[in-house]
Amino acid sequence: MITTLLERGGDLVEQADVCVIGTGAGGAVAAAELAAAGRSVVVLEQGHHWTAKDFTQREDEMLPRLFEEGGMRQTADGAVVVLQGRNVGGSTVHNLCYAFRTPDPILKMWRDEHGLSELTPEALAPSFARVEQNLKVKPIEEGQLNALNRIVRAGAQKLGWSGLVAKHNREGCIGAGYCILGCSYDAKQSMLVTYVPRASAAGARIYANARAERIETVGGRARRVLGRVVAHDGTALGSIEVTAKVVVLAAGAVASPDLLLRSGLANGSGQVGRNLHLHPSVMVAGFFDEPIHAYRGIPQSYYVDQFIDLEKDPNRGFVLMPITGFPVLTAANMPGFGKSLYRDLRDYSKMAAVLALLHDRSAGSVTSGSSPAKPTIEYALTPDDRAQLGEGLVRCAEILLAGGATRVVAPYWIDPIELRPGDDLSVLARRGVREGEIGLASTHPQSTCRMGGDPRSSVSNAFGECHEVPGLFVADMSVFPTSLGAPPQITTAALADRTARHIAARWDELGA
Amino acid sequence: MTDPPSTVLRTSRRGFLGLAGASASLAALARLRPTAASAAATGAGAAPFFDARATAILTAIVERMVDTGEPGAPPVRSTRAIESIDRLCGGLDPALTDPLPLALQLVEWGPYVFDWKLARFTELAPADQDASLDGWRTSRFATRRLAFYALRNLALFGYWSQDATWPLIGYGGPLLRPEGGA
Repeated sequence: MITTLLERGGDLVEQADVCVIGTGAGGAVAAAELAAAGRSVVVLEQGHHWTAKDFTQREDEMLPRLFEEGGMRQTADGAVVVLQGRNVGGSTVHNLCYAFRTPDPILKMWRDEHGLSELTPEALAPSFARVEQNLKVKPIEEGQLNALNRIVRAGAQKLGWSGLVAKHNREGCIGAGYCILGCSYDAKQSMLVTYVPRASAAGARIYANARAERIETVGGRARRVLGRVVAHDGTALGSIEVTAKVVVLAAGAVASPDLLLRSGLANGSGQVGRNLHLHPSVMVAGFFDEPIHAYRGIPQSYYVDQFIDLEKDPNRGFVLMPITGFPVLTAANMPGFGKSLYRDLRDYSKMAAVLALLHDRSAGSVTSGSSPAKPTIEYALTPDDRAQLGEGLVRCAEILLAGGATRVVAPYWIDPIELRPGDDLSVLARRGVREGEIGLASTHPQSTCRMGGDPRSSVSNAFGECHEVPGLFVADMSVFPTSLGAPPQITTAALADRTARHIAARWDELGA
Repeated sequence: MTDPPSTVLRTSRRGFLGLAGASASLAALARLRPTAASAAATGAGAAPFFDARATAILTAIVERMVDTGEPGAPPVRSTRAIESIDRLCGGLDPALTDPLPLALQLVEWGPYVFDWKLARFTELAPADQDASLDGWRTSRFATRRLAFYALRNLALFGYWSQDATWPLIGYGGPLLRPEGGA
């Protein structure tokens, strides 16, 4: 059962075997698996329960509904936009459905350097298989590639770059293209239409508009979650108290460490909120002679992995991805104003964009801000990461021009660079990427409650259980020991599946 | 002529720059910068966020920010752009929006201080308004730049979310399944 507390009103007092905080790729999976295993489960989700009928495909309505801080969350210096979901289903409701397993070299690094010897591809395979089956992961068919993705593929092939048509979690997609604003057709197999209903059907009691604000322990074990009923604008309307034998924290890599810090828990290592990786990205816009309507069709199908070789170096590299936006987001990401901005915007239908997404070593932090709704995110690129993003900018321009663009624009906020076929692209490398000079975006914050074998340098163990607080598990992207270097939803879900099964298997001990 | 805010009149140029540079609340506008895409999911029917004077300044700013030069472009005042921005701001956490009225006043009186013009922003010719805004965009003071982007993106949000503007850029609009469709 999914209860919208705004509509029900009043306070919430609940008791359960397990309290799950968050309904994204981690929380929804954990809730469904634990409920299916016979545990009584209460789920708290601070966002609202929006469904397909609410997804109007309009930016002015959907961005504030689906994103933290109305789509305006960013790092403290304003340099990086951090897009995170704030609704039942979390970021899986707005993501673009790339479905990758954890790269083997990343798992190897986690085993070798972070003491997570259990995390082998073989050990994770059953979790991956279950998640992929439940999310209906399958290859994108050739006929589903839209003009944008065909352009990027053509550019990559012309340049001899490595790339692939990815797998995705869609079923019956009609290619409307509004994935980032929520799927109006329930074709996207987000948590909203997969694991959340499964959890509900298995008996989990799911509460929307329920913000967890503190986890309390009894005898050193996590036993109680306190919070508030919150309106869309954060106004607190009622109190929440859930008593449980186990708490699964899956509020995302910003809210999860914030909640641990506010609770004064699990931070003997000093690592809660640290090691923040963002997968920061920069983009270049390309303009073509003919309308391509890049915003129609599946936004991201093709994936260029020429510039990342995790076997060779699991710590660095970047990938190129097609990207598109609707008018407001597109305008906001282009430089200038008035006629100078319109000069680009009038060619919106002829525009295609590519972003370079960095497998970053830069490590930022999350600390508690003035309210639970506004944690402070700090992040600065290392010189090497800055250099890689600078190269990424060049490669974005290169692939667009190879794909037929007649001009490309690197959208520096001041003095953007416009280039045409035959121009020397090294001007982009020389100018490079610096925070505050060009837009940076992140949709994959991670690693702020990292797993590890050593309690002195990590927050949780290989099953996400906090070293210092028995019965308190973390099951979201914050457990990644390092940057993942790939789209994260399948890894997040598979690790949560594994965590949930571990909890269920140990219930005699944990539930005592 | 509306009386200028006393805080502005009482400050010298240096003092005004200090006001702009040191305003912690204005710095919060940084949070509005990149996407400027939010609207109140609730709050319909709430009192207007901007008062009449602030609305007039906002309207003048939006008109320059989204000027296309196209004769057929819908005028800002003929759309619901300003209403959309007002609704957006009314639905956001006050920590994000409290600085906005101050930012509008700073832009309004900016020509006196930054541009050496004896006129408020709303009294300038369009070309001079553009020049004034460009001073904010390219300022060496981060706070001014951040305020510029906050206001710019509010303007973009208000205008380019209007259905009437979409034909200008060839955007076909939503593809919602017809009511009762499969």
